[in-house]
Amino acid sequence: MCALTTIHRGSMRLLVCLVVAVTGVVAAQDGINKDLINKKIERKLDISSQLVKVTQKITLENGGPAPVRAFLVTLTQVEKDKLSYMNVQSGSSVLKVSEAQVAEHRDLAFFRVDLRDPLQPGKTANVEVEMIMTQLLEPYPAYIQQGEKQLVRYTGNHYVLTPYTTTTQTTTVTLPSPNIESYSRLKPTTHTDTSITYGSYEGVAGFTVDPMTIHYENNSPFLMVSKLERIIEVSHWGNIAVEETLDVLHTGAKLKGPFSRYDYQREHNSYSSIKSFKTIIPASAKDVYYRDEIGNISTSHMRIQDDAVELDLRPRFPLFGGWKTHYKIGYNVPSYEYLYSSGDEYILKMRILDHVFDDVTIDELKLTVILPEGVRNVAFETPYPMERLPDTVHYTYLDTVGRPVVSVTKRNLVESHIQDFTLHYKFPAILMLQEPLLVVIAFFILFLTVILYVRLDLTLSKDDATEAKMRVSSHCEQVHTHHEKRARLYEKLEEEIQKLKSSKDVTHSQTATKKIQGSIRDETQAISDLSAKIRLDNAEYAEKVAELQKLDKTLRESVVQQLTNVEKLVAGKMSKQQYMDAEAPLHKKKEEALEKIKVLLGNI
Amino acid sequence: MSTSILSYRTRGWLRMSVEKQDTLLKMAVLSLAAILSFSCRLFSVLRFESVIHEFDPYFNYRTTKFLAEEGFYSFHNWFDDRAWYPLGRIIGGTIYPGLMVTSASIYHILNWLHITIDVRNVCVFLAPFFSSLTTIVTYHLAKELKSPGAGLVAAVMIAIVPGYISRSVAGSYDNEGIAIFCMLLTYYMWIKAVKTGTLFWSTMAALAYFYMVSSWGGYVFLINIIPLHVLILMITGRFSHRVYVAYSTLYVIGTILSMQISFVGFQPVSTSEHMGAFGVFGLCQIHAFVDYVRSRLNKAQFEVLFRAVISTVAATGVLVLVMLTAMGKIAPWTGRFYSLLDPSYAKNNIPIIASVSEHQPTAWSSFYFDLQMLTFMFPVGLYFCFSNLTDENIFIILYGVLSIYFAGVMVRLMLVLAPVMCILSGIAVSSMLSTYMKQIDEVKTEKKKTKFEGNYFMRSEIATFFVCVMSVFLVMYTLHCTWVTSEAYSSPSIVLSARGHDGSRIIFDDFREAYYWLRHNTPQDAKVMSWWDYGYQITAMANRTILVDNNTWNNTHISRVGQAMASTEDKAYEIMQELDVDYVLVIFGGLTGYSSDDINKFLWMVRIGGSTEKGTHIKEHDYYTPAGEFRVDKEGSPTLLNCLMYKMCYYRFGQVYTEGGKPPGYDRVRNVEIGNKDFELDVLEEAYTTEHWIVRIYKVKDLPNRGA
Repeated sequence: MCALTTIHRGSMRLLVCLVVAVTGVVAAQDGINKDLINKKIERKLDISSQLVKVTQKITLENGGPAPVRAFLVTLTQVEKDKLSYMNVQSGSSVLKVSEAQVAEHRDLAFFRVDLRDPLQPGKTANVEVEMIMTQLLEPYPAYIQQGEKQLVRYTGNHYVLTPYTTTTQTTTVTLPSPNIESYSRLKPTTHTDTSITYGSYEGVAGFTVDPMTIHYENNSPFLMVSKLERIIEVSHWGNIAVEETLDVLHTGAKLKGPFSRYDYQREHNSYSSIKSFKTIIPASAKDVYYRDEIGNISTSHMRIQDDAVELDLRPRFPLFGGWKTHYKIGYNVPSYEYLYSSGDEYILKMRILDHVFDDVTIDELKLTVILPEGVRNVAFETPYPMERLPDTVHYTYLDTVGRPVVSVTKRNLVESHIQDFTLHYKFPAILMLQEPLLVVIAFFILFLTVILYVRLDLTLSKDDATEAKMRVSSHCEQVHTHHEKRARLYEKLEEEIQKLKSSKDVTHSQTATKKIQGSIRDETQAISDLSAKIRLDNAEYAEKVAELQKLDKTLRESVVQQLTNVEKLVAGKMSKQQYMDAEAPLHKKKEEALEKIKVLLGNI
Repeated sequence: MSTSILSYRTRGWLRMSVEKQDTLLKMAVLSLAAILSFSCRLFSVLRFESVIHEFDPYFNYRTTKFLAEEGFYSFHNWFDDRAWYPLGRIIGGTIYPGLMVTSASIYHILNWLHITIDVRNVCVFLAPFFSSLTTIVTYHLAKELKSPGAGLVAAVMIAIVPGYISRSVAGSYDNEGIAIFCMLLTYYMWIKAVKTGTLFWSTMAALAYFYMVSSWGGYVFLINIIPLHVLILMITGRFSHRVYVAYSTLYVIGTILSMQISFVGFQPVSTSEHMGAFGVFGLCQIHAFVDYVRSRLNKAQFEVLFRAVISTVAATGVLVLVMLTAMGKIAPWTGRFYSLLDPSYAKNNIPIIASVSEHQPTAWSSFYFDLQMLTFMFPVGLYFCFSNLTDENIFIILYGVLSIYFAGVMVRLMLVLAPVMCILSGIAVSSMLSTYMKQIDEVKTEKKKTKFEGNYFMRSEIATFFVCVMSVFLVMYTLHCTWVTSEAYSSPSIVLSARGHDGSRIIFDDFREAYYWLRHNTPQDAKVMSWWDYGYQITAMANRTILVDNNTWNNTHISRVGQAMASTEDKAYEIMQELDVDYVLVIFGGLTGYSSDDINKFLWMVRIGGSTEKGTHIKEHDYYTPAGEFRVDKEGSPTLLNCLMYKMCYYRFGQVYTEGGKPPGYDRVRNVEIGNKDFELDVLEEAYTTEHWIVRIYKVKDLPNRGA
């Protein structure tokens, strides 16, 4: 009990079932209530896979005068050590189970089950106890050859181990095949095809033990995941990356003698060996990979189905008893399926572990959740107790302070443990901008450094020639800019002329053209000033600029001439024919001047 | 009113001066070349996956990982007990650490910046990254030699030249990947130093040389070619103060630095390979001194002095050299160098050198295959260099001529030839193109003036035609390079692929299957015996102790393994017990038709096995038929059909049907039915055989109980 409450007080409410931690639990002292009677027990023992699945349907009767609040479930120490999962239900409601100790029976393990409603005297109640135990089946013989079948031995009790007197009980054992080497008999025992039925037995006293052994053929995969590390990396950009690292061991009868590929390929009689297994991952999984330390494992297939993605994973080599392998699978899922938010508050709801293969047994699980940088107030809730490991920090691309990492661990798990965990946390939305800004700043600094470096002159001696060259080139650059401005002004002037032609508004036009001509003069003056400056360093270029100015003068003159002609035409001082005659040579002159300017500017 | 408005503007949106356009163009071409050289090396990664693809680089990968994880000092002091059992190997003192240090530094810097890339990816992409750098260095080198134009052409050529790509694809993580960069960097610095005569460039050259020494054994080529350059300059009367400063600085600093690499140690002052450099260093001093004396004395006095000094110095020098060699102070040249000078040397004397395929002389066709148009552009480049002889052109001529000889001797040295081919071809193409391009241009602009100077017939047309032909050549070169890279140099050797009947790709991933099995299903301290080719891979991928590996430093040990493979089961068992072997691994291609398997390598095992004292009972001719053939069918020699290697390869193979219409036990590599079929192994048991039988692993049985 301690363990439960200390780990997650809050999660107690959410407990839907309880799985008992193997050790380290200080149990409450309990007595055996002599008044309780098991009126009827129907026990089912499923030993067809590598697991031992026990279901007991118990009808309890209160034979005493006082109401009963709880009853005890008993296991041997061996069974308790191998117990992975336990669930007690009454109808559809799940009952609370806690570990208990009974002073007179130190050698046995007890679990106290609290009934939902106290059992009144004389009444009966139906409960169903479900237990899954791992590693209880013992390969016998422990070593077999390649072509041999795998035989295992189950050792148990013909009677249901219970502290109470049982009126009537039956046990049905389910087997994988009709091939049985031997089984213990306690009348009445019936063996049909793949099942053995013991009982019914009447009036069995509490704690009655009668050893049961079943030695049978079991070629179902005895595959144990000795270590499963599941890493979930949450990104608020819409992706959740899942990666699982698995160590897989074949726990069946060990291979004795040689492995012959020839026999393996020819006969297909390697009963207990495992060639491949199926792993089911979420339907939305993308970018699935299957690899190990030395690269991609090329022997796998992926089938996309409606509700899941099925991976047919084939290890690099077939697994015989005692052989092990190690691999990684990983995939991405969209975060909208698992991440819920309200403002800055987020809830991540994902599976603690996912399907690995059917009837899996996992010895050790470590679940790690990597949250985005800047996450605060993390609260982790699990449906069953898990050991929380110290939080760490993980650094990856574009991180500054690191991402918070939450991890939990637990031993001995089976498929029934595939349940969701809930992770509450707070993440200010503004932090989403951090990473893009980081990139922007990095590039900005890079460009700035390059700009500075290119312009920086660290030489001690002054190099006049280069400096003059640089001065000239910067002046020439300015000449270009001014000329460009001037060219734009000329274009405006032309536009004005066209406008004048259509509007015939001389006064309005004159104010506009005057202004433009003034600006052109300013630009020309600026170029002349530059020309003077260039002359100080390089006479050749200055010459060229001077020529440019000359050409510009002709250009300007012709444009101004055009303007006056148009004005005259509008005012009626010039006939249309005269205007046309004057226009043609002017246009030609302009074209020539422009052509020359272009060539000249290309050389500057 | 039809006068259109004239455009007064003279420039478009991109306003740039000629210099800026020039810079932009150069930068654009260069960065495109760098990107191209990176990306065309990614075929294997894109087709398969991001892992080390070749056999040898697995060792480099393993050591890099060790360095990145354990730090430099433990790397430096690393005694590897996983290899050469029971001798072990001092890794720190027997490798060139440049490659590992480079990748480990990149790894640490990236991780410090929180770019969490793992060591494997750094290793996989290191060679392509360094090829990009090589492209840039080549540009600078060719620019110094000729012009920026030549530099650009050379850079683009080296970006895709197959001779270099073959050793630097992604996933081949070998010393050569960075060594070519180091080599060209040293040359560039050296040319700069010779041109300027400044201490700065000479020291930079020494540092670049140090980097080269730390990364590849081929540095010996550098330390011989640079002195040779100086010597030629002296002979041709071009020796100057610039050369004196450059070489003296480079030699002194470079030698001291190179001795810091523990694998090199005192070699620069004790072995014959480095003596040339030392001699030229001395000559330099003498030449400079003589020049000084000559400037102080009159001619007659000088003559007398000169003769006397020269004869004494020469006599004592030769005497000292002979004495030192006789006393063993100066090591004679190693086998690899003899085989450089005399191609048949290795074959006759050292089987282990001859057994490596990359130490074979180069076939003519492979010159064309690896260099294409460069082979015929090379002489043109030489012509242009001769036509304008300068100090630096002499260097590139020397480099070109020497490396073409070495490349002819050893396939591996094609790598050294490729850069100089690119540089010389770059010079050739650029010179010719600029000559002819001018002809096209001039005719257009000065049509009127040159009308009467028509001393060339159809000048413009011919020029245009020539430029077109050259462009076609260049396009062909690009296509050839891409094809070669994609088809020949990008198929990994750890994963084999074949085409099935329906055209689908079949992957034979047997090597990794076997190594992974070893890694997980054998005891941690198991000793695996295999032929040395697979040593590096087994240590890296299977993480198990091996007897011999690709660092073939101990011939006796390899020979012992060869003897075990070539002996009968009983004899082999004795050797295996002596060497404490737990597992034996062989590569067998008979089922799939994988031809480089152990049976095809077997003759080398016999030769190497028989080459030492303990293996004198193994004679090569015992493994041949009386007619002198090497056959595994019924005609084969009984010695062969009963030796350990044969038995391990063909154990239970006699029952397998491999091809329709052929008897069981039909070997698809040698295309025969095997001769010895139904046998059992006494001292070994099959431990694992991969899906396609390519790798077969046997467990050595324990000694039988006494009396049992």
